[in-house]
Amino acid sequence: MCCVDYSTSTMAAAVAVPVASVEGEQDRCGVEEEAREQDPEEESSQQPGPIATSQNRLAKLPLARIKALMKADPDVSLASQESVFIIAKATELFVEMIAKDALVYAQQGKRKTLQRKDLDNAIEAIDEFAFLEGTLD
Amino acid sequence: MAERPEDLNLPNAVITRIIKEALPEGVNVSKEARKAISQAASVFVLYATSCANNFAMKAKRKTLNAGDVLAAMEEMEFERFLQPLREALEAYKKGQKGKREASEQKRKDKEKKTDTEETDKSKEEEEEEEEEERMEEEQEGENEGEEEEVEN
Repeated sequence: MCCVDYSTSTMAAAVAVPVASVEGEQDRCGVEEEAREQDPEEESSQQPGPIATSQNRLAKLPLARIKALMKADPDVSLASQESVFIIAKATELFVEMIAKDALVYAQQGKRKTLQRKDLDNAIEAIDEFAFLEGTLD
Repeated sequence: MAERPEDLNLPNAVITRIIKEALPEGVNVSKEARKAISQAASVFVLYATSCANNFAMKAKRKTLNAGDVLAAMEEMEFERFLQPLREALEAYKKGQKGKREASEQKRKDKEKKTDTEETDKSKEEEEEEEEEERMEEEQEGENEGEEEEVEN
């Protein structure tokens, strides 16, 4: 069941094994000017499970999606591949950080499940998260 | 893939994985908390991009580069990220170089199979052009690639 053709079943891939489809996006869009050399990348991107090549293990988040987000800013014209990668990596670190900080509040409440209110508490209490105030649903 | 800003969020499963790996075993995360973290991550990208772009504009550059992002992190008070980001950047750059060389080698081999010597000459010229293309990073590639993936 796992060995489905990920390139066509994007819906299933997005839910079940997003890493594989992420792989494809990352390779395709993070390396735009190498559009010709798709073959070596595509082979590795269709491996199921964790990221195949050591190069791609560096960013867990799909660079294409990150780049699309960046482009949503009308003031941004061009972004180097490296900058997209660094933002992806920074976002990963951010997620780790906010999760850990929110956990402190869950633990204070003697809970083992992180809840939305723990996040809200962390955002309110921690200076670095001030930019998030009023931005979440 | 219609990409309006509202539709752009990061893949839930990847976000979940990052969260799980950051927290100790036995800790769970509610769906609402996960969704909020995912949203926060998107906001983070937008904020970091905007901040980084200010540095690029100050330097009169149209292309955002890694240095701009690092400067943005400092500005946003995420100095703790700087060290791991620099290390990741080094690894990434090395990987990119290896990839490029590997792809070029493969392309050379492919060409040799189908073409003769005179093509090799023009191939060398092409390769030099490609090198420049890549050194200028997204300048040309961007224009070509843009039409394909994002329609602003």
